[in-house]
Amino acid sequence: MNGEKSAWQRFLASDFFYDFKRSPVTIVSFVIVVTLILMAILADLVAPTNPFDPGSLNLMNGFTPPMEPNAFTGETFLLGTDDQGRDLLSAIIYGLRVSLFVGLTAVILAMFIGVSLGLLAGYRGGWVDAVIMRIADIQVTFPSILIAVLIFGVARGLLPPDLRDELAITVLIVAIGLSEWVPFARTVRGTTMVEKEKEYVQAARLIGLGSSQIMVRHILPNVLSPVLVIATITLALAIIAEATLSFLGVGAPPTEPSLGTLIRIGQDFLFSGEWWILLFPAVTLLALALSVNLLGDWLRDTLNPRLK
Amino acid sequence: MDEFIRIEHLNQRFDLSEPWLARMIYRRPKKFLDAVDDVSFGIERGKTYALVGESGSGKSTIARMAVGLLTPTGGRVLIDGQDLHDGSLSVAEQRRIRQRLQMVFQSPYASLNPRWRVGSILAEPLRVFRLVDGPQAEQARVHELLEQVGLSASDARRFPHEFSGGQRQRISIARALASKPDFIVCDEPTSALDVSVQAQVLNLLKQLQRDLGLTYLFITHDLAVVRVMAHRIGVLKSGKLVEEQATEKLIESPQSDYTRMLIRSAPRIHRAAS
Ligand SMILES: Nc1ncnc2c1ncn2[C@@H]1O[C@H](COP(=O)(O)OP(=O)(O)OP(=O)(O)O)[C@@H](O)[C@H]1O
Ligand SMILES: [Mg+2]
Repeated sequence: MNGEKSAWQRFLASDFFYDFKRSPVTIVSFVIVVTLILMAILADLVAPTNPFDPGSLNLMNGFTPPMEPNAFTGETFLLGTDDQGRDLLSAIIYGLRVSLFVGLTAVILAMFIGVSLGLLAGYRGGWVDAVIMRIADIQVTFPSILIAVLIFGVARGLLPPDLRDELAITVLIVAIGLSEWVPFARTVRGTTMVEKEKEYVQAARLIGLGSSQIMVRHILPNVLSPVLVIATITLALAIIAEATLSFLGVGAPPTEPSLGTLIRIGQDFLFSGEWWILLFPAVTLLALALSVNLLGDWLRDTLNPRLK
Repeated sequence: MDEFIRIEHLNQRFDLSEPWLARMIYRRPKKFLDAVDDVSFGIERGKTYALVGESGSGKSTIARMAVGLLTPTGGRVLIDGQDLHDGSLSVAEQRRIRQRLQMVFQSPYASLNPRWRVGSILAEPLRVFRLVDGPQAEQARVHELLEQVGLSASDARRFPHEFSGGQRQRISIARALASKPDFIVCDEPTSALDVSVQAQVLNLLKQLQRDLGLTYLFITHDLAVVRVMAHRIGVLKSGKLVEEQATEKLIESPQSDYTRMLIRSAPRIHRAAS
């Protein structure tokens, strides 16, 4: 239409895409992340079996090594089975779904809290800023995993026992989300302090817009690219945090095992020779977290050339 | 004399003290800066009043108080006789006064939100002051504003970074015009532009003044620009008004040494006067 390029054509011609094409590591990371996300979303279609349907389990299949036919049933499993005869590939695909879901929602929560508080602190300044940033300072002196364990513990203590397993995932998301908001708040605060002095904000104040409208409509769109970078890096952290909590047994319940839960189960069998039960979930977790992190680093360098 | 705005004994004192704790420990007194110190002047309706003075003399601070962006620590700003900073005015009354005041800023880069399309930038004041009914009327008014400042209607879909500095100042002027103001403060609107583009923007401002009967407070440190634009000039030095005259009179026979120095340091004026 009237000679203008489509959004897609413009994207293909952009510096952003050019940088992407030139970085093989980024391309590989991107492919891995997209594949894993698609597998998690389409788990019901991709997974060979539903590992949590007790009817489909056959205890005779227990401890089948990868790609070897089972001694009793003759069935073969690409990645082997665990003690219960569960197909490990299916367990990993479903575990991936839990891990990614928890990671993404926790990041969204952390992003929402951090961006709101950062905007408020940066725009208002004064004691509002002082209070918010001191809380942030105190929080970062504790490892975030410790904070997550604390929140998790308190929440479980407050919940009635019959709801604990049901709400375990929600509690996990809140715990990780609350422990990761600080980097968002600090970055957004800094950018907001710069943006609010710019004349377009003065122009908005001049027509009588209130602070919340100025923060959301004018400043927020200008702080989003650093937020995107932090979100990606935090996603890797959140996935690891979730796995750590689940590994410690305070995360995803056995009824909804995540990659961390699978790793915890797997380590019981490491020394009895069933190495695959630990190895494959661990490699998947590593590939996911590493790829997301590399993507985040690349985004940071590309969107913010001065920080290189 | 029909004055649109009168500024009376205006004061702005900034508190530059260190934090309380540091003051206690090092036993330092509080520190203040009188950025604007007892300044009074008026601007006639439909005329241009220029404030000149070196950097840091308090020009922008006066500008921000004149449009209500900053509350004075002393004195009053009267718009058609009404006190702009009067706390007893209702929200609706304040809104009505403020709608008549607008500003064009110095930086062509920082004065437009880089994430907004020009159309949205111009439509915002229309919506806030409910000046149009419905999206069609809004679009028509946006196009009208763009054409009024010498741009084309199709520019509404573009982003600020797609324009040159001079074009961006035109967009800023269009945004200022959107709320149908009577008074526009121009805070060094051309000092970031090339000389040839400067002249175009100044001509646009003059033409708009003639067509719409606008009153300007024009801030600059460039006396050559002042001569083209202003009917009266106030000379500001360290927050104080040292001299005030009709434009030609001030340039022909400056009364204070400071004004003479300003004129001498403006090469184009100097040549024209000698
Ligand atoms: N918010 C503020 N807090 C403290 N000091 C301020 C503040 N705003 C301005 N000042 C000080 O007030 C003085 C006058 O500043 P102002 O911006 O009005 O000068 P100006 O005449 O517009 O200068 P320029 O030509 O550089 O724009 C300066 O010394 C400045 O540092
Ligand atoms: Mg200034």
